[in-house]
Amino acid sequence: MELLNVQHLRKSFGQLEAVKGVTFSVKKGESFGLLGPNGAGKSTTINMITGLFPPTSGSIFLHDIDVVKQPKQAQKRIGVVPQEIALYQEMSAWENLKFWGRIYGLNGSQLTRKVEEVLEIIGLSDRAKDKVSTFSGGMKRRVNIGAAILHNPELLIMDEPTVGIDPQSRNHILETVKQLNEEGMTVIYTSHYMEEVEYLCERIGIIDHGVVIASGTLKELREKMEDRSRIKLTIDGVKENAADINKVLAGHFSEKEFQFQDNQLIVFHKEPQLVLSELVHSVTETGTRITSVDIVEPNLESVFLHLTGRNLRD
Amino acid sequence: MRRIFPILSLHLKSFFKTPAAFVLMFVMPVLFSWIFGGMSVNSKQNKPVVNIVADRNETNTEIIKLLKKDKNFKWETETLKKARENVSNDMVIAAVAIPEDFQERIIGQRALFDVILQKKSQDYQALNAYLQGSARLISSSYQAADTLEASFSDVLAGVVNQKGIVVERQTIEKNPDNHVQVNLMVVGFAIMFMMFGLSGAASAILDERRNGTWGRLLISPARKGEIITGYLLSYFIMGWIQFAVLLAAIKFMFGSSWGSLSYLVPYTSLVIIMVTGFGLMIAGIVKTKQQAMALNSVLIVSTCMLGGVYWPLDIVPEFMQKIALAVPQSWAMSGFKEIMSGSLHSGILLKDILALLGFTVVFFAIGLRGMKFE
Repeated sequence: MELLNVQHLRKSFGQLEAVKGVTFSVKKGESFGLLGPNGAGKSTTINMITGLFPPTSGSIFLHDIDVVKQPKQAQKRIGVVPQEIALYQEMSAWENLKFWGRIYGLNGSQLTRKVEEVLEIIGLSDRAKDKVSTFSGGMKRRVNIGAAILHNPELLIMDEPTVGIDPQSRNHILETVKQLNEEGMTVIYTSHYMEEVEYLCERIGIIDHGVVIASGTLKELREKMEDRSRIKLTIDGVKENAADINKVLAGHFSEKEFQFQDNQLIVFHKEPQLVLSELVHSVTETGTRITSVDIVEPNLESVFLHLTGRNLRD
Repeated sequence: MRRIFPILSLHLKSFFKTPAAFVLMFVMPVLFSWIFGGMSVNSKQNKPVVNIVADRNETNTEIIKLLKKDKNFKWETETLKKARENVSNDMVIAAVAIPEDFQERIIGQRALFDVILQKKSQDYQALNAYLQGSARLISSSYQAADTLEASFSDVLAGVVNQKGIVVERQTIEKNPDNHVQVNLMVVGFAIMFMMFGLSGAASAILDERRNGTWGRLLISPARKGEIITGYLLSYFIMGWIQFAVLLAAIKFMFGSSWGSLSYLVPYTSLVIIMVTGFGLMIAGIVKTKQQAMALNSVLIVSTCMLGGVYWPLDIVPEFMQKIALAVPQSWAMSGFKEIMSGSLHSGILLKDILALLGFTVVFFAIGLRGMKFE
């Protein structure tokens, strides 16, 4: 059953068209990853789904609620973890959670119970009465998540929730999100970290230049790569010798099968072991020096690179 | 509308948790009022002396009685020679001579009093305003005597003895210990510090916008109206708490009376709403809290100077008094003066209220227009 349906979403800010017709849907109970580099239109799309911006055109439905026409109805069912730490720093974790709980309509003993429960989930029961300003970045991120799940939202939207935190807090957050999703909460997760999206999300949408360029399960996306691994050769003076290397490789690989990036030559191939020695030999013939060789199995990063021609964090 | 209360209580709680807010909103104004109010009360114990030079006759006796109704000055009758000496030795601020051709001057509509002075001090400005008021009253009495075919001195005596007729100085009659000026000074400080306090609080919206809590509120089920009402109500309550604490402190320190509460409470509420609107306007037209603080400092201090918060407008030149009409503080002070004097003139107060309402509407319109709800 579809929980969220986004159709032909567009958003312009003056002359700039930030989102150019985004379409995707999310099933109930699913975890959906939205991947894209900075400026791809990811946050604008999220902001339209949460009802912060009205779209220039297109539709967003949460169940049968038209988010564009009835944003407040939809917002009761959505929990949002914003990218920034949107908390009152001089208040304690307890006070912050209590405040956001009341904003979402909880009160009395129900509110107290939910705050205690959420503090337990985010692992901060023992620091409940401490001011948020005294917390580490990771702890603040956990309270930021806590404030979004107090009202048991049907849809939890997380916009880069692990930016700039320590590995321990990151793992805690990932485990929390995984657990919430397993308990039935639908999750939309955006991140720069592909391994997080790979770990958490059943389906992924890749957004670039304001459009969804691919979507599907990780398996489906890998198939777009035709299951090709990447051979990464780090070469001294790769830019200066690019023309010679190009000439040598042209006899062995098609244009789509290799590309240069920074000081690396990247070759896509289904069976890297078979072509590796020939590749090394050909490149060495040009008089350049290879400093390292790395073979990377197909993953989300290679899918993104394959589809957009650039790294996610470019 | 149930989401207003959590927003309101959160802001009150966070505001009063800040020690700097306490200093700005309570300690500073009480301290200023205590120092300057105390100075003012002490200075009133050493009243400026004014000499009166006049021949002894029935009319002059009534005029002297009329002049002596202003208890802000110590009136002493002297000879012309002695009065001149006193003025030149700076023993008195001025000498007021009632000329022999007094009645001709009334008919000829010339200046009624001859005033001898060395310099135009602040005290002289106050004296001058009073002399002009008295002169108008005397002229009116003369015309009335003419119409009624009664003796001028009888009519004047009637006017002088009838309490409440000397409009400009009725204040002094009703508050013999002359606390109105002290009260106004305190109210002036209260308005200024309230403007700083509430504008500072309103510019917290800018911080919230930067920190993300504003955006988070906007994507919550709380409606824009609930959010903005919660914020504004918290500023209104902060303003009232500050004002009430100040009034109580000054009552305790100087034993001041504040006039009728049934006028004071709604009028103070209007002033606080106006100040809240001012804070909202600043928050709406700047982008950062730093910009808001800079703009607040310039605007608040300059408009308080123009609006008669630091000194009475009576002592500034006429063109400055006209400029003062363009700042809300002058209207606010005028209304407070009316209420605290105990001699309420509903016409003047109504004018003050309408002007304040006008400023409030403009401030809110600009402020709400500048609020970013996306």
